[in-house]
This record gives sequence, C-alpha cells and structure tokens, in this order.
Amino acid sequence: MRGDNLEEALKDVLRHDVSVEAPHLEGLEERIVAELEGRLPKRGFVETLKQLCAPTRGARLGQLAVIGATAVVFLLVGTFLVGRAPFLGGGPNRTATMSAAAESGNAVLFLMPAPGAQSVTVVGNFNDWEPTPLSDDDGDGIWTASIPLSPGRYEYAFVVDGRWWGQDPLADEYVRSFGDYSSVRYVGRAGEGA
Amino acid sequence: MKARFWKTCSLGFLGVVLLLGYGGVILAETTAADVEQALQALSLSQGEKILEAFKIGFVQGHLLPEETLRLVTRLTAAEGSPAEKEAILLTLASALMDEFPGKTLVDKTLEGLSRGVPLPQIGQQVSIRARLLVEVRDLLYSKGLFVATEGQAASSFLPPERFDLLVIHIADALGEYLEGGGSPLDGYILKEAVHLRLSKLKGVVIPVEDVELVFARIGPADLTRVVLDVLD
Repeated sequence: MRGDNLEEALKDVLRHDVSVEAPHLEGLEERIVAELEGRLPKRGFVETLKQLCAPTRGARLGQLAVIGATAVVFLLVGTFLVGRAPFLGGGPNRTATMSAAAESGNAVLFLMPAPGAQSVTVVGNFNDWEPTPLSDDDGDGIWTASIPLSPGRYEYAFVVDGRWWGQDPLADEYVRSFGDYSSVRYVGRAGEGA
Repeated sequence: MKARFWKTCSLGFLGVVLLLGYGGVILAETTAADVEQALQALSLSQGEKILEAFKIGFVQGHLLPEETLRLVTRLTAAEGSPAEKEAILLTLASALMDEFPGKTLVDKTLEGLSRGVPLPQIGQQVSIRARLLVEVRDLLYSKGLFVATEGQAASSFLPPERFDLLVIHIADALGEYLEGGGSPLDGYILKEAVHLRLSKLKGVVIPVEDVELVFARIGPADLTRVVLDVLD
C-alpha cells in the first residue's frame, strides 16, 4: 500500500517537473535544427524509435542502455525493498505487528487526559516498551495516538512527564507487573471497534 | 534539448542509485553476526553458549535477530553487573534450547528495563516465566495434548505454533496471577485466570477448538500443581 503511495508521490513530482519544464523545452531541438536547415522535421513515433535504435547511432544505443539499466535497477531494488522493508509490509522485524495490523486496519486509539503535561507517551509490548509519543494538537489536555496493532493481547502504560501511569480507564483489564500496574487491551475481539 | 535531457537523466539516475543505496543501508537486516558483536560488548563468560542458543532460536523462528539485538543493546546500557545481565540471557538461552518461543521472556525483560527495575528482580521474574513455560508444556503433554509431527491429524496433536500459543498464554496468565500476589493454592482462581485469558483470545488469536481442549482437560488442581512446582 505504501509502495503505491510512494509511486504516486514520485509520479506527482515528475508530472510537476515536466509541466514546469515542458513549455520551455518542447520542440527546442527541432526549432534549432529547423533554423539551421531551414525546415521543420516531421518524424513519426515509429520513425523516431527506429532512429534511436539505428546501429549507426552508437551514442543513442548507449542512451538506451542507460534507460534499460535504470529500469532494471528500479525493478530489482524495488522488489528487494518490498520484500524487506518493514513499512512496506516486508520481512520480520519489530514493526511486523504494526505492518500486519495496518493491513488489517486495526488502528487502536490510545487516549490519555493529561492537562498541563509537557509530554505523554505510551510504552508497551507492541513497541518493545520504548516510548511512542501521544499528541495534543488542539491543546485541550487530551493526548491521543492511533497505533495499528494486529489482533492479540497488549500490555502497556502511559508515561506522563516521565511518570508511569498504568491504569488506563479505557483498558480491558489491569495486571500487576514489577510491583506496578500495566493496562491491557485485547485487539480484534468480535464487536470491538479496533 | 537532448543533451540537457540526458544530463538530467544521468543526474536523476545517480540520485536514485544513491537514494536506494542509502535506503538499503538503513533497511539492512539484523543478522546473527550483529547479535554476536553486541554480545561481545557484555564480556560474557558463557557468550558462545548464549549465542548458539540464539542462533537456534533464529532458525526455529522462536526469536528474531532484531529483537535480540535490541535486548542485548538495552541490557548493555542498563545498570548492573555483567553476571546479572548474563543470568537473564542464560535464562532466555535455556528456553530457546528447550524450543520455547523467546518473545514473552524478551518482553518481560524489556519492560523491566524500561521501568528501571533492578536486574536481579528482572532476572527473577524472567526465570519464573521460563519455568512456567516448562511446567505448562509438561502439563499439556500429561493431558494428552502434543505437538503434531508430519502426518498426525488427531485433534489433540496441534501444529507447533498453535501448541506454542497455548503454552505461552497459559504460562503468562499464571505468571501474572503470581506476580499480582495471588496464592498458588487457590486453584479455582488460577483456573479462572487461565480461562479468562483464553476466552478473550478464543477465535481471534487461538483457535476455538484448542481452547475447548484446554477447558475440557485442565482443571484447578492441575494448575495448582504447576504453580507449586515452579515456586518449589
């Protein structure tokens, strides 16, 4: 899915560049040649291709080779990245759960009321207990993050200005862990708005 | 026009190659060699044994090199003696050698490290969780639930990943019960803890028929015995 987005974004950039440059470049060479030869060339697409492929035009063959090589590199590296990149749903890694979840659409909302807080993060077994930041864009003191998770059971806690807070009112249950609380969410249960 | 076109093409090609090369570098997959290198920073007395177990875990799919590298890196940065760090890694290695998935033990360790829990306390909890895995697997065996080998299709012979899921979640439910201060002698509450966990995962993560097998064959007394054996 993200590969498609990337391709679309690249296409947009290319379209933009072409639209900006094209008016200046269109027929420039032909105009120059016409100036020099006193006539406008009228070549069809097939003829142009033939000329490009003509064996006597070594330079053009070299150019074609560059195009071909570029295409091959794109194909090979693209295949490589799609197969391995976590954000493209590739090989196993710490975000495999999130990638799989993104595909199944289980974006789980984490919400923490913390008016006046400087920072709020969520840590849990879905992010190796490393902080994922929540945001409060409208400044109403409600910090949120939407995290894609695949079906399963997840333990987590909020960290508000460095202090752990393990009892999320939206949790399905709480557990004691290392003498403190952790919240638990079950994702993907029937009827759950994941 | 063509000269400019080809110049632009060449620059674009060069840019793409550099970009993809950079992407390839940052996406480079973690390997056992990376883990080995990270382990060396810990100056372990049984580093080879631990690495060997990790490699077995990688091959069996019971552990990922990426998560292992993160664990080792964070252990390295944690306050504590090399012996305390090695004890945790040895517990994990032992579980992997016994063909258990390492995920729950790694998670427990990472949680403890994030919470700033002293290493001996983390090691103790990880050790209990590892022993629970062993005892729960033995319990399932004793109740006629086995890992299916090729060609076995009876309902009590489960594919390895499904069998592992049962072991992981039963052991985890018991571990949380104990860590929360529950009595090992209260078999009915132990059974409730296990039933609650499996019920919530039934049909979502764990196949319904597997949960029904556990419900039908494992009772309060079985779970009490498991927990007492772990705490013994």
